Amino acid sequence: MDSAATTVSYKRNEKKIFNKTNVMLYLMILPPLILYYIFHYIPMPGIMLAFQRYTISGFKYWSGFENFTYIFNTPFFWRAFRNNWVFVAFSYAFITPAPILFALMLNEIRVRWYKKTVQTISTLPNFVTWVVIAGIFMQLLSPTRGYVNYIIEFFGGQSIYFLSKPALFPWLFTFMRIWKGVGYSSIIYLAALAGVDPQLYEAAVIDGAGRLRQTWHVTLPGIRNTIVVLIVLSFSHVLSGLFEPIFVLKNDFIESSAEILDTYIFNLGITRGKYYLATTIGLFKSTISMVLLFFANWLSKRVTEDGRSIL
Amino acid sequence: MQRSIAEKVFNVFNIIGFFLFTLLMLIPIMFVVKTSLDISQVGEVQLNLLPKEPSLLFYDMVIHDESVYRPFLNSIIITVLGTSLSMLINSIGAYTLSKRELPGNRFFIYFLVIIPMLFGGGIVPTYLLVRALGLIDHLPVLFIPSAANAWNMILIRNYYWSIPTSLAESARIDGAQEFTVFFKIILPLAKPVLAAIALFTGVGYWNTFMAAVLYIRDSRKYTFPVKLRELIILGGDANKSFEEMLMSMGMDPNEYFLSVEGLSSAMMIVSMIPIILVYPYLQKYFAKGIMVGSIKG
Repeated sequence: MDSAATTVSYKRNEKKIFNKTNVMLYLMILPPLILYYIFHYIPMPGIMLAFQRYTISGFKYWSGFENFTYIFNTPFFWRAFRNNWVFVAFSYAFITPAPILFALMLNEIRVRWYKKTVQTISTLPNFVTWVVIAGIFMQLLSPTRGYVNYIIEFFGGQSIYFLSKPALFPWLFTFMRIWKGVGYSSIIYLAALAGVDPQLYEAAVIDGAGRLRQTWHVTLPGIRNTIVVLIVLSFSHVLSGLFEPIFVLKNDFIESSAEILDTYIFNLGITRGKYYLATTIGLFKSTISMVLLFFANWLSKRVTEDGRSIL
Repeated sequence: MQRSIAEKVFNVFNIIGFFLFTLLMLIPIMFVVKTSLDISQVGEVQLNLLPKEPSLLFYDMVIHDESVYRPFLNSIIITVLGTSLSMLINSIGAYTLSKRELPGNRFFIYFLVIIPMLFGGGIVPTYLLVRALGLIDHLPVLFIPSAANAWNMILIRNYYWSIPTSLAESARIDGAQEFTVFFKIILPLAKPVLAAIALFTGVGYWNTFMAAVLYIRDSRKYTFPVKLRELIILGGDANKSFEEMLMSMGMDPNEYFLSVEGLSSAMMIVSMIPIILVYPYLQKYFAKGIMVGSIKG
């Protein structure tokens, strides 16, 4: 009788949204909600700056698409826009395949300790800040004291100022990105490779398949899903994530091939105080990213086995 | 199992290939170590990996020159405070997220994950807000805005889900409040995932660069990577030249032809040391860390 009564009152209490337990739970998530509200939601209307201008006397007025027209007529904007897509192309051509190749090759090594050592060393640079990575390469490639130029001169060549040649920059930058990230990015593929059923290899061997055919017919299909998911996921942020490395590596000589939208926004907005123009470019960039995100989401539902969505 | 000659050749090349690859990773770092320890004359480059005139002078400068050690301390402060605050907020918030039947649960996911993924003010409006709040040139700006992290919360929430409900249930029957259940039962059991996320968060704060470039003007509030960049790019300090730094160490710049590269190398090594120290633990959690990027609400 007594216990039945408590159950009833407990159930009645449950129906109220703001019972003691729930209030406690809501309080527990309050700090993240407040921080997100302040630092993500309050700046959101700031995007309206893209449609505003200031007069010389500091008076704000609505300018419609004037900022967009101005930006689209600025060669520097198109330069940054183009460079951004050049880096995207280099990403998919070299940086995406590199860890897959790395994992496939490392998977062929049967000596455990060797495999582990290679992995340990190659993963470390991922955790080191870009400032240090850039510092290491600047030292290595320096025209006066760099070891690379020392070797070139030793063999009778001309010293090259690598980091001031616009044509070389996308290649050097891609090399550095692989140098820093290939070990870490390969971990997920190595995990997927470890999950491939060994019986499939045995069956392939019985069918007379050599190492190469095993890789083609068993290993690659085994990690196909992982590759597809990672590529699709990467679509939504192709235009971001390069601010830090570019900002550290950029100099006046290579600006023509190194400036990207993010660094251009920084220059225009923070360094030169042209808030409305920088916000305009920011809005343009995030619109493209949003379209790509929806595209990736649509694609993800189609190509993944379980039809999962990103959003 | 019989192996064909082609396979044997491949194996040999594969092993040699990875050996060269490993050297390609190690040698640049070893050169930096060498430069940081060498005070021999500038001008002649040599391919040796050992310093000609070994000295700890540059490391001494890191410890004794205020313009260098202050950024170092700043980085330590934001790493410690940032990681603690972030772990506290996210581990507690994740418990609410783990309550599927709680009214408003979907709302939290939309508010914290989906909407911020779709819309954002961007660099400039966020900068203007930070400035309006008067946070420019204050260290908390480097860790408070990033303290709440929805991805980490989701990761922790998923771990809470894997804890058997029977444990919490029996505590509730004993009359324990939700708060007690969380702190006494759930939190201690979630140690592995919390340790993993704390490590990744800590490394992130240690490497703080972009936020400092945006929000810090005062060189006394620089983080270590920002100071390092200043030395690498400008070849010195905005206020104090490398020669002056040498003189304050009691060295005569005319007698020793030292370059600022030695100091920046020493700083690079100092910046890497904490990461190398936690690296064995990091490695243990790699698999989980990768999931930070791939798991969704």
